[in-house]
Amino acid sequence: MKREWFALGIVALLVIVFPASLFGYQAWRTNSSDARVIDVIASSPENGGWSPDEIRVNVGEHVRLRIAAPDVVHGFEIPALDVRVDEILPGHVQEVEFVATRAGRFPFACTRWCSVNHWRMRGVIWVSDPAQPALPAPTFAPPLYQQLRIDIDAMHPAQNIPPRKPSAARGAQLNLRVDADFRTQSPDAVFAKLRADAAYDAYDDQQLWDAIAFAYFQNVGAENIANGARRYARDCAACHGERGDGQGPAGKDLPGLTTMHPDMPRGPANFTDASAMLGASDALLQGKILRGGMGTGMPEWGSLYTDADLWSVVAFLRTFTFDDPPAP
Amino acid sequence: MNSPRFELTRIPLFKRVVTSRWVPWLFMALTLPIFLLAILTGLFGTPAGSRNFGIIFVWIVWWALVILVMVPFAGRLWCAICPIPAPGEWLQRRALIQPRAGGKLFTLGWKWSPRLNNIWLQNISFLAVALFSAVILTTPFVSALVLLAFAALALGVSLLFERRVFCRYLCPVGGFIGLYAQLAPVEVRVKDAALCRTHTDKTCYRGSDDGYGCPWMVFPAALDKNTYCGLCSECLKTCPLDNMGVFLRVPGKDLQTTKGRRLDEAYKAFIMLTCALAYSIVLLGPWAALKETAYAVGAPAWFVYAIIFLAANLAIVPGIFLACAWLTRKISLHKFSLRRTFTEYAYVLAPLGLAAWAAFSLSFVLINFSYAWQVLSDPFGWGWDLFGTANWTWTPYFAGLQSFLQIPILLAGLIAAIGMALRTAHTQGVPSRAALPIVAFCAAFTMVLLWLYV
Ligand code: HEC
Ligand SMILES: [Cu+2]
Repeated sequence: MKREWFALGIVALLVIVFPASLFGYQAWRTNSSDARVIDVIASSPENGGWSPDEIRVNVGEHVRLRIAAPDVVHGFEIPALDVRVDEILPGHVQEVEFVATRAGRFPFACTRWCSVNHWRMRGVIWVSDPAQPALPAPTFAPPLYQQLRIDIDAMHPAQNIPPRKPSAARGAQLNLRVDADFRTQSPDAVFAKLRADAAYDAYDDQQLWDAIAFAYFQNVGAENIANGARRYARDCAACHGERGDGQGPAGKDLPGLTTMHPDMPRGPANFTDASAMLGASDALLQGKILRGGMGTGMPEWGSLYTDADLWSVVAFLRTFTFDDPPAP
Repeated sequence: MNSPRFELTRIPLFKRVVTSRWVPWLFMALTLPIFLLAILTGLFGTPAGSRNFGIIFVWIVWWALVILVMVPFAGRLWCAICPIPAPGEWLQRRALIQPRAGGKLFTLGWKWSPRLNNIWLQNISFLAVALFSAVILTTPFVSALVLLAFAALALGVSLLFERRVFCRYLCPVGGFIGLYAQLAPVEVRVKDAALCRTHTDKTCYRGSDDGYGCPWMVFPAALDKNTYCGLCSECLKTCPLDNMGVFLRVPGKDLQTTKGRRLDEAYKAFIMLTCALAYSIVLLGPWAALKETAYAVGAPAWFVYAIIFLAANLAIVPGIFLACAWLTRKISLHKFSLRRTFTEYAYVLAPLGLAAWAAFSLSFVLINFSYAWQVLSDPFGWGWDLFGTANWTWTPYFAGLQSFLQIPILLAGLIAAIGMALRTAHTQGVPSRAALPIVAFCAAFTMVLLWLYV
């Protein structure tokens, strides 16, 4: 009988203590760190997206996110808090720690094209200050397109089209000063003003366009264009195409395409279309990127991008219509 | 009948191990927590199959162990180790080690229906698992539910029925292990049949103070096939004359005679053969859409897949074989009924099927085995690193060797099948050429697999 009890004891040990110790170990791992551990699951939107997609933490709290990706490779970024994980491999768990220093609502997003719906994969972190429970009212000026009352959903064809693709390199050789506010004025408007000005009569149309391209790039600077290029490759190319032609694979079947204005060309905007691009001011483009298409499939980026990011990606978009951007 | 054999139980140490009452318990006590872990990781761990202990250890490590090692070399050895019947068996006996002196088992003790004294239910249960295998084998949660269902069923059945009815008649794995165990080079058999005739107590079937009557409901004294012997070693303990032994023998000896060949077992051979082919086509073939369909359980296309899959298993492949059997019967001048010709020759598919499964398994076991190290350190996919192996990178093992192993295995299976086909013709007393249609069937099957693998 003693043998029986011994055998039974061993089995009980293996069947009860062994699993219990596994879960105990996990609990200990969670509790023993001084950080608050939050488990987050990153799945492609069609598999449920972020879970949870709303995370609540306190100002000053030491937070450790334990992010698992069950399906495919994802990335993670809370731009406003400067938290990012570049790669979460399927089945792996990536941990990232941070301390939020200010209260607010901070969107986070996946940074990898995990599926055609990747751009929907977003969530929000609410950071509250226990000392000051009410969230501070957001204090930002209305975006430029609103101040200028630009209808960013209207068609904006250019009146003047350059004979050839404008080149900043050729423009540089002209020694022609162009003073213009590109944020509020479209390149087309700038051209029209120059053309009407007798002081520029010595230059032909192409030369004026080349000068505008040069002036534009001088104005935004090589740094911004490079930053914009990185963002474009990461966030936009899958829809708008590597070459800006609107032919990206993720832009093929956007559900919102049907809600677009009947005059608008279907699909993601084609940034190599000279008429549309030259007819748009930076404010218009920035406005569209910031606000998104509201149902057309064009995501909003205002909650993820800083102001500087938005302007730099606009600057990069111009390289699809203006040749020879400055190298950083 | 008198082929050479070597009695392993003559080795004192071996004999001590197989007659120890502790050893079966020890095996199960070791596999039970692993089984439990597989269920827990499936239920609570990461849904990413390749990082989940349950998926990797059950469908890669365990599978490789069973089909590549245990079945070909030790027959039903797995059944002696398997944790699934353990709770039920211990409960029936109300003991883990001790025999129950003349005692009654804790069970309603229902007798299994004689009409189900065959493996049709196992054929069905295997097909059911096989049909959903794309999902079961890759989705940890589903996989855990299936394992849990097996365990619950085994426990429930053991409370209602006598002995190991689950293992013998229901377990989807047991069916094919039994079929292929006939090929194994190991057997538990009577040492001297004459001695048994003098012993009227039949303790090997009824049990004694030293052990339990055969849990597999086999009469050990008359054992002549491995198919239903679970290698549990009870008869070695209950035979008062020490007349049971474990033997090394000529592989495949059970298949040398055509005695007692049955349609249910024949169908097991078809199902196994067809599944090996179907998996090779779906999973290894160049048709990605087919693979997706197999995964899309419930979608309209999946139902088409399911119907074709079941038809192939139950009608198409057996149908083609039936045509071959019909030809064979013509050539052998109608000596036997078509049914008998069909059934007896179907056993020829046992070596062919085992070879096909071994070759198929090699193709994914070698490639995926390295996941085992990762899930060992991080069974739940929770970011653990128990043994420092959690981040070992995935590396296919012996990638170049794979087809070098597959080709000889498939050819060996074919040769064995041809040998058996000729032998069957021989035992039936018909000219060897009668086996030709069957040989052609086997050769064609092997060609398709070779084409898929190489
Ligand atoms: C999921 C696909 C998708 C992604 C990702 C995407 N866009 Fe778009 N975008 C569209 C679609 C569709 C349109 C056209 C409908 C509209 O204007 O709302 C569009 C329009 C635009 C326009 C308006 C052009 C015009 O002439 O009015 C701009 C500017 C733009 N996108 C910039 C971007 C930038 C910059 C990014 C990356 C930060 C980006 N898009 C990412 C789909 C996408
Ligand atoms: Cu993503």
